[in-house]
Amino acid sequence: MPNLNIVGKRKIFIYLSLAFIIFCVIVIFVKGFNFGVDFSGGSEIVISTQETYTIDQLRDALQKIDPSYATAKIVSAKPSDEEITKNFYVITVKDSFPSSQIKDEFINSLSTYLQSSDLEVEQFNDVSGYAAKEIRSFAWYAIIATLAVLLIYITIRFQFSFAIGAILALAHDVIVTLGFYSLFGIEMNLMAIAAFLTLVGYSLNNTIVVYDRIRENRAKSRATPIEEVMNQSINDVLVRCLHTSITTFIVVFLMLLMGGRSIASFAFGLTMGVVVGTYSSIFIASPIVIPMMKDKKKGTKKSSSKSR
Amino acid sequence: MAVFIFALLGIVLPLSENKNNISIFKYLPNIKLGLDIQGGSSLEYSMAIPEGARAEEIVNNVIAVLRRRLDSAGYTEAVVSEVVVGGERRVRVEIPGISDTRRAEELIGSKGKLYFAEVIETIESSTPPQITRNRKVKVDGKEIDLYSYVRDSRNPNVWYRVKNVFEFGTEPFQITGLDVTDARASLNPQGGGFVVNLSFSSQGKNKFELATANLIGKQIAIILDDEVIIAPVVRDKISEGRAEISGIESVQEAQNIAVLIKSGNLPVDLIKFQENTIGPTLGRDVVTTIVNAGIIGLVIVMVYMIIFYGWMGFVADIALLYNTLLLLGVLSWSGAILTLPGLAGIILTFGTTVDGNVIIYERIKEEIRVGRPPLTAIKFGFDKVFSTILDANITTVLAGIVLYFLTSGSIRGFAVTLIIGVLGSMFTNLVVTRVILEGSSNMIKPEKYLKGIVVGKGGNE
Repeated sequence: MPNLNIVGKRKIFIYLSLAFIIFCVIVIFVKGFNFGVDFSGGSEIVISTQETYTIDQLRDALQKIDPSYATAKIVSAKPSDEEITKNFYVITVKDSFPSSQIKDEFINSLSTYLQSSDLEVEQFNDVSGYAAKEIRSFAWYAIIATLAVLLIYITIRFQFSFAIGAILALAHDVIVTLGFYSLFGIEMNLMAIAAFLTLVGYSLNNTIVVYDRIRENRAKSRATPIEEVMNQSINDVLVRCLHTSITTFIVVFLMLLMGGRSIASFAFGLTMGVVVGTYSSIFIASPIVIPMMKDKKKGTKKSSSKSR
Repeated sequence: MAVFIFALLGIVLPLSENKNNISIFKYLPNIKLGLDIQGGSSLEYSMAIPEGARAEEIVNNVIAVLRRRLDSAGYTEAVVSEVVVGGERRVRVEIPGISDTRRAEELIGSKGKLYFAEVIETIESSTPPQITRNRKVKVDGKEIDLYSYVRDSRNPNVWYRVKNVFEFGTEPFQITGLDVTDARASLNPQGGGFVVNLSFSSQGKNKFELATANLIGKQIAIILDDEVIIAPVVRDKISEGRAEISGIESVQEAQNIAVLIKSGNLPVDLIKFQENTIGPTLGRDVVTTIVNAGIIGLVIVMVYMIIFYGWMGFVADIALLYNTLLLLGVLSWSGAILTLPGLAGIILTFGTTVDGNVIIYERIKEEIRVGRPPLTAIKFGFDKVFSTILDANITTVLAGIVLYFLTSGSIRGFAVTLIIGVLGSMFTNLVVTRVILEGSSNMIKPEKYLKGIVVGKGGNE
């Protein structure tokens, strides 16, 4: 059974995390996000053809259609299934195609300029600016609603200061992961939002396991100072946290490595989330509760906050 | 065990005619695959619902009309559904297996509003001409502008000044798509092109007779979606309740017009909100890679568990497979749709199942360390972890439920597999693993966990 002094050194970890959060916020402000069409509006078109083109050739062809397409994002994607011999290209433009005629014209002129005879549209995602705006606001709703529900549940099962601790740890995870999305230029889209909600659930799961131990150990000996109880509890569950995180990490990391483009922004969030979430559950979520609990004891000594 | 067989039956029994031919799903014919896996098109439209209108009614009407249009055009597999996101109502049309959406989009996007009107004059103008003197006429309780300019469908510079209401007989009346009982496309028997033949209801027949009797030698415009399709000259009174729209160039166009007229008009305008179309090749490629990643991940995790927990790890592996089958079984029975993010959800479930097992085993190890025999250790361990597993998983389920209600489409598929998977892992861990472990407690070697322990740590209970 490990016996590390984690709670005693909590200030180091909290300052470390604070520094990291500041770094991430700066990265986000300086570099911004690579928003996918879900968020920025526009169209993402995947075309397939037997012929091989360079990105520049594709860009030239796009520019001939409309000079404003010079800023289009073009990615060449190799299919991972070896039976498929075609080449895939992903083209992202800022325009939305409100009618099928406009869409057809675009595809036809693209095939003409590329002199391709077998150009096919494999995927077509069109999100109007209006839809993108709504998705942005929805993303906030999703995060706020999730947090509210969790806050209530933890308050019922544990106590309010633990709920705050858990939420702070989650905020830490989300900000740091957002920073990594920005840093590596990973596409922010609906899949990324799903990843964030999952990582919230995952990190919380870890935090709850620690809190559950604290709840149990406190019930056993109420005289022991909270710092000691917490340290003991964290050490008790440390092995479990590592095993769980390593296994989950293996699974999501493989998804990131092998899953290809369409799942990448999801798998990236989870891979980062497992690491950051485990860290925060062990080093942040519990220690950060201590000052709150002490304040509470000083303030309202009589109405003792019993944890179940 | 019963649950297991039930799940297995759901997977194996041929419940539907449905055939999947992608990757591993060949063997799982009862699982409905989302469009992002099997390929197809999902078109979402927002509606311009006027304020104060009965939204519920309008949406149902829109869905019914779209359903009829898609059915008559042969898209019988299409799914038309209402989507409510953030208080806004939208309609979504999902058509599996097509990547050329042109025709479907034309059918969905048209309002389908048809009516007949008397032509007053025809003018040429590049800009929409203005009506100078107009008045409103009350028909069936609705106020209608008597005159308006309508553009020609083929020549954008030709405008017809039409009188929207017929003022013959005792009361003013309109002839609209509602008076038409049938519309059929056919080859034009005289000359080239295609025609759409219209049959009127008995009421429509009378109205049409009255209108044509009074307008001999004049033009009647047939207007669809605010464009004059054709404006023939009335040669004779038409009393047999038939009319013909001629001069259509392609059979496709004629069929579309017929479908639009027959299925009635949409009460509101539809504005394309978003479109997701994916071809079958790309879908197959993506799924293959994700399934491969999942299987490799599964195998590594299984080996990892055996290395660290020996026999108990093996039991965890059984639990892992059991829960995966359970999940697939529930998906088969419930008819929930498996999407790409849903697949990711299944893979994530491996993590939750292993996590539950690890929590249990660490507890059992602690119990063994304080000197309990394996069977008692198992019993105590399970009793103690109950609240841990419950709290830890309920929070995940809660996040899943929020996700389910706030999203739609493929992300919702993720919420579905996550919720089913986590609930399944709770059942698997607390019931299945327990039964197996209690039945095989002699396989656990307590010495393994006692070694290396210096003092009987904080087991001061």
